[in-house]
Amino acid sequence: MRLKEVNINFTLNKENYSLSVPSNMTLLQIIRDVLHLTGTKCGCEKGECGACTVIMNGVSVNACLVIAAQVDGSSITTIEGIGNALNLHPIQKAFVEEGAVQCGFCTPGMIVSAYYLLNKNPSASDDEIREGLSGNLCRCTGYLKIIEAVKKAEKELNEIKR
Amino acid sequence: MKEKTNYIGHKVNRLDAIEKVTGEIKYMSDLYFPDMLYGKILRSKYPHALIRRIETSKAKAVEGVHAVITWEDVPGFNGFGIATPDQPVLSKDHIRYIGEAVAAVAAKSEEIAEKACALIEVEYEELPIVDNPIDALKENAPKIHENGNLCLHTEIKRGNIEKGFQESALIVENTYYTGRQEHAFLETEGGVAHIDTDGTLVIQVGSQYPQRDQLQLARCLGINPQKIRVISYPVGGAFGGKDELTIQPILALLTLKTGKPVKMVLSREESIISYWKRHPFIMHYKTGIDKEGKIVAQEVKIYEDKGAYSSLGGPVLNLAVEHACGPYRVENVHIDGYAAFTNNGVCGAFRGFGVPQVTFAMETQMDIISEKLGIDPIRLRKINALQKGDTTPIGNKLTTSVGTLKVLESIEECNLWKRRNELSTQDPKKPWIKRGVGLALTYQGTGLGVGLPDYGGAKLELREDGGFTVKIGTVDYGQGILTAYAQIVAETMRCPIEKVKVTLGDTALTADCGPTSASRGVYTGGKASIIAAEEMIQLMKNVAAPLLQASADFIDYDNGFMFLKGEPLRKVSYKEIANKFIDDGKPLPETEGYFLMPIADIEIKNAFGLPHHIFAFSAHVAYVEVNTLTGETRVLQGAEAVDGGVVINKQGYEGQVEGGFVMGLGYALMEDVIIDRGQFKNVNFSTYIIPTVKDTPFHIESIPVINPEDTGPFKAKGIAETVMVATAPAITNAIYRATGTRLYRIPATPEYVYKRLKEVENEKAHKGH
Repeated sequence: MRLKEVNINFTLNKENYSLSVPSNMTLLQIIRDVLHLTGTKCGCEKGECGACTVIMNGVSVNACLVIAAQVDGSSITTIEGIGNALNLHPIQKAFVEEGAVQCGFCTPGMIVSAYYLLNKNPSASDDEIREGLSGNLCRCTGYLKIIEAVKKAEKELNEIKR
Repeated sequence: MKEKTNYIGHKVNRLDAIEKVTGEIKYMSDLYFPDMLYGKILRSKYPHALIRRIETSKAKAVEGVHAVITWEDVPGFNGFGIATPDQPVLSKDHIRYIGEAVAAVAAKSEEIAEKACALIEVEYEELPIVDNPIDALKENAPKIHENGNLCLHTEIKRGNIEKGFQESALIVENTYYTGRQEHAFLETEGGVAHIDTDGTLVIQVGSQYPQRDQLQLARCLGINPQKIRVISYPVGGAFGGKDELTIQPILALLTLKTGKPVKMVLSREESIISYWKRHPFIMHYKTGIDKEGKIVAQEVKIYEDKGAYSSLGGPVLNLAVEHACGPYRVENVHIDGYAAFTNNGVCGAFRGFGVPQVTFAMETQMDIISEKLGIDPIRLRKINALQKGDTTPIGNKLTTSVGTLKVLESIEECNLWKRRNELSTQDPKKPWIKRGVGLALTYQGTGLGVGLPDYGGAKLELREDGGFTVKIGTVDYGQGILTAYAQIVAETMRCPIEKVKVTLGDTALTADCGPTSASRGVYTGGKASIIAAEEMIQLMKNVAAPLLQASADFIDYDNGFMFLKGEPLRKVSYKEIANKFIDDGKPLPETEGYFLMPIADIEIKNAFGLPHHIFAFSAHVAYVEVNTLTGETRVLQGAEAVDGGVVINKQGYEGQVEGGFVMGLGYALMEDVIIDRGQFKNVNFSTYIIPTVKDTPFHIESIPVINPEDTGPFKAKGIAETVMVATAPAITNAIYRATGTRLYRIPATPEYVYKRLKEVENEKAHKGH
């Protein structure tokens, strides 16, 4: 019953990986179950909640909707590649300061979506921020502090650039 | 206590926020063990059936399968349930809902486990279905449980209801319906069980009360609870849905059977079908008012759709009965509540615990009364508001802090309410868009109430570095108690908050503090921490005394130092005191704090948990926009004035208000798990819709009403539930103000709103003829 394996080569958080995995595996399973990078969360496996959002070839995707063969040759950034405790990304810092985190389970996906949004559109308006985060569900915060955090990070990122 | 606080009432960033924004924190579903197996549960195909035969041999023969278990493999009592343990761990003969667990597999991979599950043969004999609580109580209804379909009947009568109605100038009578809300925590039920090197069974699954899980598991497994360790922090959301056991007993059985670590994480679909929901209610309300606007009589009949098993459905009904008349003085009451078993999945604890349902009904009644009598909605509520010293509708005297008037006065001053008339406009370019502002008031008990074991517990350890570790059995699943506890300890011990570590939710390490539910987390753990801290201060003073060559009575302390009163330069640091313990060959001290929650002055026979003694109060306002062509409602803005006593953490307070308001928005407008003939119709996030960032209001004003509760830690109460409870009626009352259409059912989906708009239009047309 073992499915045919596929060989895949890809870059994840700037490190190269060469793996052989069952062909029906998703990128989410590769990240979590194979590489044990658990910052990327699984909330629905249907692309409905956004908890598994990662950047793939410069575009934000639901890792649960990407299958193994599509990963071959790609470049991926997960939450672990955006910043760490000693070197927080301005978006992460703003989430901490604005109280945009409660249970924290949606947080990594939310931050990756915000990261993609602000890269693509460094002067995103309130409406554009809402649009950009609309694929990420949060059940705790009511979203307002998340929006505030993204606005604060946007401001800071623009100041850094100047 | 010092007048000025270092931490209490300040905005303090969550202490766990950094490890959450980096993804470093490990939730229970993030754990991996070497040589780990995967578990999978086979659930019933039918909502109501008898099991004739279970055959597992084909499943057992699959390569990679390590165990297949059924009811025969449950060594202890095959049942669980916080109030009444009537739900089988694995069903033997009688299936009562479609998600019921029948068998389970542990295998090398999830795929193999799934395949093996499909090979388990179960022969069922279908039984007729009971699909609503009113039918369930009819004499000829099919019996779901041996003793019939009545889970609980609670009836409270006070005063003279007939006389009350006779004296009424106006009687308002309506029937209300509320939906089956899903918790929709982002982390589904999941985790790992393994056997430790010393033979202890370790269960790591997100939960709200590890000590109770430990006892329930010991009963199912037939083993000493001391041989079971439950760890349940951190959790990716719970809201009541992880108060009861979920997958833990099955995971434990698979681990004991195989001797290996077993992991299980439910899919979203399995999560929605298998476990707890908010109970749908059908409520008949009859309210009598005199011409001054005083409520003189109220009759309420409640039918609670319990679903298949008890869990906390009885206590939920009781809380609904207690809060059915709102925070108002009503002398003549008759409240009659029935919780009835049905084959509609299972319902249990959910933020608000029966109060959101009755608040929707009561606050709609109040809005109708306000309009019919021409009394301003806030004035009507003030006329009837419970105040300190009053007797509640169920008969207990309120002796703790009561904020009804204060929250009403605060909300009256908020911008949204003051501008309600100018905001209630029609868009001149789009006359089909109508706007309005609505209000609702509620209250919610803090703690479990009379007759239930209700206590707080905390352990406090002095560390070698002069810092402290506080160990409390409650769980932070987002609400922020971890940070609140650290603030309380830092404030009491007068040390920097960075010196305080918090350990939560671990039966091996933390003090039993009761369940993380009933808005009681800050109150119980906070107060117990203060008791433990006060003892710690005394122990440390005793050690500091010889170092400072003074009596302990002359020692003061601040900022991580103990010093001579009036001579702050003659000091020793907490670290030096810790080292003194070590130098003297003594263990570093660990103190414990325990207390019993204060309770109400009366007991109500046969109504466990009633009455409550301490209450939080909140007034909610919603500003909505209704598209009368489609029935769609958009909530533009919201406001809440909340009396939760003294606010411990401003950031946490605002987070609760905003999050609670938006969860209430979902309850009001969109959320309902639809079950048709026992079958679930919307089991994922594309069919069960929760609010997204695009549904959230542009602004939610949170107005703290500081109304100190003398018994609370730093005079705090609990706000986690009240903040969501009155949002739904504030929204539906706003829809009425916008459209003139009264709603008796939530969720107020576009379909329902549109239907009601047309009905009201037709009524008006008929009257016109």
